[in-house]
Amino acid sequence: MLACIKSVACVGLQSFPVDVEVDVAEKGFPSFNIVGLPDKAVGEARERVRTALVNCGFAFPQKKITINLAPADLPKEGSAYDLPIAIGILVANGDIQTGESGIFFGELSLDSSLRHTKGALLLAIFAKKVGVRRIFVPIMSANEAAVVAGVEVYPVRGLKDLVEHLRGVKLLIPLKTIAIKDLIENATPDFDMEEIVGQEMAKRALTIAAAGGHNILMSGPPGSGKTMLSRALPSVMPTLTEEETMEVTRIYSSAGLMQPGEAIIRRRPFRSPHHSTSLAGLIGGGSHPVPGEVSLAHLGVLFLDEMAEFPRSVLEAMRQPMEDGKVEISRAAGRVTYPASFQLVAAVNPCPCGYLDHPTHECKCTIRDIEKYKRRISGPILDRIDLHINVPAVDAEKIIGTVSKGESSMVIRERVMKARGIQSRRFESTGIFCNAQMKNKQVKEFCKLDSGGVRILRLSMEKFDLSARAYFRVLKVARTIADLEGSEDIKSVHLAEALQYRERVF
Amino acid sequence: MKSNNKVTGNRGEELAVVYLQKKHFLIIERNFRTRFGEIDIICRDGQTLVFVEVKTKIGHDFGEPEEMVNKSKIGKVKRMGEVYLQDKGINVSCRVDVVAIVLENNGSVERLEHYQAVY
Repeated sequence: MLACIKSVACVGLQSFPVDVEVDVAEKGFPSFNIVGLPDKAVGEARERVRTALVNCGFAFPQKKITINLAPADLPKEGSAYDLPIAIGILVANGDIQTGESGIFFGELSLDSSLRHTKGALLLAIFAKKVGVRRIFVPIMSANEAAVVAGVEVYPVRGLKDLVEHLRGVKLLIPLKTIAIKDLIENATPDFDMEEIVGQEMAKRALTIAAAGGHNILMSGPPGSGKTMLSRALPSVMPTLTEEETMEVTRIYSSAGLMQPGEAIIRRRPFRSPHHSTSLAGLIGGGSHPVPGEVSLAHLGVLFLDEMAEFPRSVLEAMRQPMEDGKVEISRAAGRVTYPASFQLVAAVNPCPCGYLDHPTHECKCTIRDIEKYKRRISGPILDRIDLHINVPAVDAEKIIGTVSKGESSMVIRERVMKARGIQSRRFESTGIFCNAQMKNKQVKEFCKLDSGGVRILRLSMEKFDLSARAYFRVLKVARTIADLEGSEDIKSVHLAEALQYRERVF
Repeated sequence: MKSNNKVTGNRGEELAVVYLQKKHFLIIERNFRTRFGEIDIICRDGQTLVFVEVKTKIGHDFGEPEEMVNKSKIGKVKRMGEVYLQDKGINVSCRVDVVAIVLENNGSVERLEHYQAVY
């Protein structure tokens, strides 16, 4: 008999319908074959399904079983086809009848229970798009799918429960739609801003960066607090909005990085890859392209500590995603696009020994060393960074504690959130979330200057020799500073402050 | 000791036939020869056509009989089975069984194991 069960294939962040056709033929030698370009994990479904069916109390049919994953020319990967294959065999063998039109999805373990499977959210979004009402997913992945309204998500603990449901013996209860709003949390930072002494200039710049999603480069001697400042950045970052959460969760779901049982990514991502990270690790890649760090940091922070230590090829590869907010990865197996709209936070030493321009410590580097070191980060990369700041060594007075503490992260975050609120109202229905993501057209629309501002900008363009890109970036930063102050227009002061962050420090 | 494998094999096949008949298998053919080799026993279990490979050993030197029947041997039996089906022009559900027999030195049966549907 022939059975056809619906499932999906995920390629990057896209989903395609897959029909799992199962034929159980009486005649001929018993065999079990899977066709339709299965990868290793799909091929091994044979052993998992066979064992799971036996351990679930069914006799595995000693018949000629042929499984076709249609469309036959789309490569299938992953373990999510275990469940549709198992159900298909049972239906084709006449063990259960089903007029079930739902989508089946999940990896079987040998004891016939279902395991957490990557991509449940993509499946739910797909089901909603094509109008499939019911989806059956592993119980550990069900919460992920349940954030999509309008789809009945049935959490399945094991094959046995599902069989009983399909036979009508004991029905499964679909999950209630999960409200994302209640789950979103503030990030848990390592430090609070008030713990960091001094560095008011750096804190101000970080506030602007957080408020507008701008890239920032910090340069300073060892021990001045660059790393500490960046680690404290999550404490002032705005919480994710619902729309942003869905975007981030989609990437993590497709990469299989969701915690079992978790519905969404609750916090804004903060990724800090080590400087030995490979190009494929940072940008994404592999024969079946998987998202890299730039995509995992989408709508969050990509923190590159000791940026000058990264191989040049890896840094240069970030140029395109920094500009476009997405990466296109082409491989023999296919072509995928991952969003990669991240905020770059970079920390560097001014020279190899680290003490260039230090007030008390002598720099031991030769001029050649320093020049060579500075060449490690290219102009195009630096040009894409909106805020350049110096993080000088801290005075003894401030460390000993005679100077009063700075603002706490809570206070700063409130300001940041207010600025983000203004931005999200401004960018409603434009598909972007913050000032840094503005395209040139939007900059022209939203960043109007008064006559004083135009004059300052013209002067500085001539004096500092700003590139066209730098011009737009200065305007974006000025927009954020104005937003932080709740000002509708960009005033000369805002522009002046934005300009001082353009000064090259590395 | 010069062993006589052919004699041992034939004796094992006799034992297997008796055993299968006791299990109500209908013996159809023995030592069916094709150009790939020969099928020891062809019989019928209900509706299913069964191709049986018999492996007989004396004692436990050099391993158990089960170890001697590997994937390629079963594949061979399967291929021969397909030839048989072609010859007779029939198409029914089939399977391959293995009967493993260990004999004592004096010729009595130490153990006889019947494995159904081996793959």
